[in-house]
Amino acid sequence: MNTEVKETTTNIRDKRNNDVLLEVRNLKTYYPIKGGIFRKTVAVVKAVDDISFEIKKGETLGLVGESGCGKSTAGRTILRLLDATDGQIIFDGEDITNIRGVSLRKVRKDFQMVFQDPYASLNPMMMVGDLISEPIRNFTNRSSKDLKPEVMELLTKVGLPEDAYYKYPHEFSGGQRQRIGIARALALRPKLIIADEPVSALDVSVQSQVLNLLKELQDEFDLTFLFIAHDLSVVKHMSNRIGVMYLGGLVEVAEKSSLYAEPLHPYTQALISAIPEPDPRKKKERIILEGDVPSPIDPPKGCTFHPRCAHAMPECQQVKPTLKEVKPGHRVACHLYN
Amino acid sequence: MEPVTQATSAAVGSVIKPPKSQSPWALARRKFFKNKIAMISLVFLIIVTLLSIFAEPLTIPVEETAKINLTQMSKEPSAEHFFGTDKSGRDVFARTLHGGQTSLLLAFSITIAVITIGSIVGATAGFFGGWVDNALMRFTDFMMNFPFLLFVIVLKSIFLESSTATLIFVISVLSWTGTARLVRSKVMAEKENEYILSAISIGCSPFKTITKHLLPNVMSTIIVQATLTLAVMIVAETGLSFLGFGVPMNIPSWGNMLQEARSPDVLTSKWWIWIPPAAVLTGTILSINFIGEGFKDAFNPKSNR
Repeated sequence: MNTEVKETTTNIRDKRNNDVLLEVRNLKTYYPIKGGIFRKTVAVVKAVDDISFEIKKGETLGLVGESGCGKSTAGRTILRLLDATDGQIIFDGEDITNIRGVSLRKVRKDFQMVFQDPYASLNPMMMVGDLISEPIRNFTNRSSKDLKPEVMELLTKVGLPEDAYYKYPHEFSGGQRQRIGIARALALRPKLIIADEPVSALDVSVQSQVLNLLKELQDEFDLTFLFIAHDLSVVKHMSNRIGVMYLGGLVEVAEKSSLYAEPLHPYTQALISAIPEPDPRKKKERIILEGDVPSPIDPPKGCTFHPRCAHAMPECQQVKPTLKEVKPGHRVACHLYN
Repeated sequence: MEPVTQATSAAVGSVIKPPKSQSPWALARRKFFKNKIAMISLVFLIIVTLLSIFAEPLTIPVEETAKINLTQMSKEPSAEHFFGTDKSGRDVFARTLHGGQTSLLLAFSITIAVITIGSIVGATAGFFGGWVDNALMRFTDFMMNFPFLLFVIVLKSIFLESSTATLIFVISVLSWTGTARLVRSKVMAEKENEYILSAISIGCSPFKTITKHLLPNVMSTIIVQATLTLAVMIVAETGLSFLGFGVPMNIPSWGNMLQEARSPDVLTSKWWIWIPPAAVLTGTILSINFIGEGFKDAFNPKSNR
């Protein structure tokens, strides 16, 4: 098993396109459900089921999908906050899927996360200055005091006043806390930032401020983003490319313009038709999906979307479609395009 | 965008917020100091503790308190003996103070041991989960199953040279289980917060994640639990000594002094022998419980008194 992994890694290194920062291959994350007296695994939740994609340096890949489709789990698995059941995560040419302990802690400084809930993601007992300098202190021997000028600079960069240094998280609003979270993620100058629904807990006016801040910082620090969200307009604003997830699988990946202009997968079509139109006179045809999302414990056979799909064919119930490049840079997992 | 945020936060800072920013600890401390009952209790407890610590300079050396004086048997309170003397002619006042020293030392030591063991076991089990949790919790259940009184009596008879230290050891070993379970459940709830995930993602080791991020956030529960344990341990010492399984008879302790009240004669007509230790004991336990209540209120963000 181990030698196999090594071989594929070297293979990838040879073939690797130099500007690919993150490559995810056939990633699977299953949560076991334990039951009975002996805590045996009675079922698994297939939260992330066989997804593959890559992110180039400096680009933003948006990951959309409804609640429970596995996009957050995917993000956390890539950052090794959860263990992958199967598949490979190749970050900057290094397979990080199975590293552990100290070596894992060492690579953590290259990828950081901005969390969803700004009220839960900051330790309430720590001063903001300490919160922001903590990542740097974890990797160097420098003290809080020593790092103060850098922290002040970061605070200014994310648009917070310098006196925020001495305050505690409970003294800030949601948007300000999210800025603290961003400053903390930036402190180590990471290559990749995974933003897990960074604005979904904020109100709309603050959302745009935080999103613009993220874009500015991306230019300034040369960041690569994996941007996870359920809001299509937010993803459109942020991303270069977009991946659409449904029930743990990636159903479509394309350039932003191509995806919004011509969505190929029936699910993506339904999603995009649901974006509210600001012009009330403009008539728009909405595709309304029937039924609910099936349980990820027992996903439908074949294409997971077939029970709700208007174009379902007999083949869809039997064979699971794989992502195929239909147009240049536009990949879709659907039998309609075979 | 930036100037707007800065202006708003500056305005908020100058109008609503107090000039100096306060940590959650400072906020809790302020709330605690405003709680009158808790403050009175704290003052009482400090006085009792100080009197016990300085028992020797205030009264007589501890060896003197054990000396039997047949000429001074069962004397009523007087200027010479504030609380009178007991059936062996020993000064009740001096024995109450020295007894406090024994009882409080015992209770504080056991509490520290119990809270330390309980927190380490509970935090480890709760944080790591899985088989670590399973192993530690089954061990906790195992320890919990020992019948406390029986075990203390047996262990005390094994260690023939029973001293205060053995008693501290025996009670500590048997009493940490409740704290471990409590800390575990708190840690399990707290670790679901994203800041723990965030701590791991910025490269904190498990040890650092537990000590710097988890424990400070469950510390309020631990402190409240510690005060309650302290009160329970004073009662435990008294109960065991009353039954004769506690502190050796030659050392004065509140429990040993109350033992004298087992004789009906003392209980009915020689009140000065048992009322002082009983009163101080009751007052101490009450005040510790009030302080615990005060801590609980102070740490609870929902109470705003």
